[in-house]
Amino acid sequence: MAIDKVTSAGLETSTNQPVFRNIIINGDMSIAQRATSTASITANGYHTIDRFNTFLTTLGTWTQSQSTDVPTGQGFAKSLKMDCTTADASPAAGDRLMIQHLIEGQNTQYIKKGTSSAESLTVSFWVKSNKTGTYTAEIYDNDNTRQISQSYTISSADTWEKKTMTFAGDTSGTLTNDNSEGLILQLWLGAGTTYTSGTLSTTWTSVTNANRAVGQVNLADSTSNEWYVTGVQLEAGTSASDFEFLPVDVNLDRCKRYYQKSYSYATSPGTNTTAGIMTTGGSAGGFTTGYLSGSIKFEKIMRASPTITFYEKGGDSGVCSRLKVGVSRTDNQPIATESISDNSISIYSSGTADAGSIDVHFEAKAEL
Amino acid sequence: MINTVEKIYNWENNFINYKVTYDDGKISSVPLDEANTDYQAIQQWISEGNTVIDNGE
Repeated sequence: MAIDKVTSAGLETSTNQPVFRNIIINGDMSIAQRATSTASITANGYHTIDRFNTFLTTLGTWTQSQSTDVPTGQGFAKSLKMDCTTADASPAAGDRLMIQHLIEGQNTQYIKKGTSSAESLTVSFWVKSNKTGTYTAEIYDNDNTRQISQSYTISSADTWEKKTMTFAGDTSGTLTNDNSEGLILQLWLGAGTTYTSGTLSTTWTSVTNANRAVGQVNLADSTSNEWYVTGVQLEAGTSASDFEFLPVDVNLDRCKRYYQKSYSYATSPGTNTTAGIMTTGGSAGGFTTGYLSGSIKFEKIMRASPTITFYEKGGDSGVCSRLKVGVSRTDNQPIATESISDNSISIYSSGTADAGSIDVHFEAKAEL
Repeated sequence: MINTVEKIYNWENNFINYKVTYDDGKISSVPLDEANTDYQAIQQWISEGNTVIDNGE
């Protein structure tokens, strides 16, 4: 990406498009640190693609994967795929399924939401499904419990289509300038009558659930159903610019503000491996059956103090291995955190195997 | 889904984080940071009437 100049609006490329104009992180679905495929999904969570959360309330069972099925000639290499493996053709009123992208409030202050100068937002993405019909894209303001929705149509089965929607600026409800969730982009895939029984709210308003996803098809109504998305972009203004491709290291680095792990990039946490394992700490007098301690510095500062999950070499969580380098490794040993901050953790193992250092994998999660 | 939550104290008897065991057997350490969404989930879990294990230091 050639940087052309620096203006008050930020860096600009030779096409006069600001760099980092895409509010969405990892919109090309290229980064998947946790796993590239997860089956039997029945609950909320970040399952595969970084920064894309699945919000699921008892509406089918799903396999989510990082797919190589992409729109031809657009530059994308990966997409997010949802594959229904257990259908639910009759959702209860409160059931729903959405793919969400949660955004820190401090990252969208420049859209001036809640002021008379509030900027419009334009969402664009590529989507494909065998299930044609009406779908809903929603922008949800978590700080002020406000939202706006627009429907889009998947017209041709099993065909990549680009969708673009512009949402008016919201002159009410300022976004808190902090690291908590402000706006959420939500792509609905199914909804019960709690969310569909009203009139679609296509202007910013306080949340009325019945007006959020009116007309939404039920992607969960058949195990034949699949849905793909990539190239998700959310930007200030009334038109969609070309998708902003970032170098993979930049994309990965941005994702690591929210999730990091000790394992190699392609290795899922809980895998039996020493590759990437952290060896830390030590005793003052050689080997000991008592306390060992140490610290782990994160690769970059995280959004907040993260939740830490430790794994011993074999893959069990909540434990570590105690190591006599060159002699022995004893798995399933106790480990605890002395402190957790946004840039490091201090750890200790209280015993009991005779050892000189701690061997442990970790994942650190500071997602919104 | 949260299965159990236990308060963890350090050697100076300071309450430093929560140890959470999930239904799938995964065990995690959750910091006392209101911006952490797992910390928020624990507070919600407590507000629903669940009890945190507190064995002291």
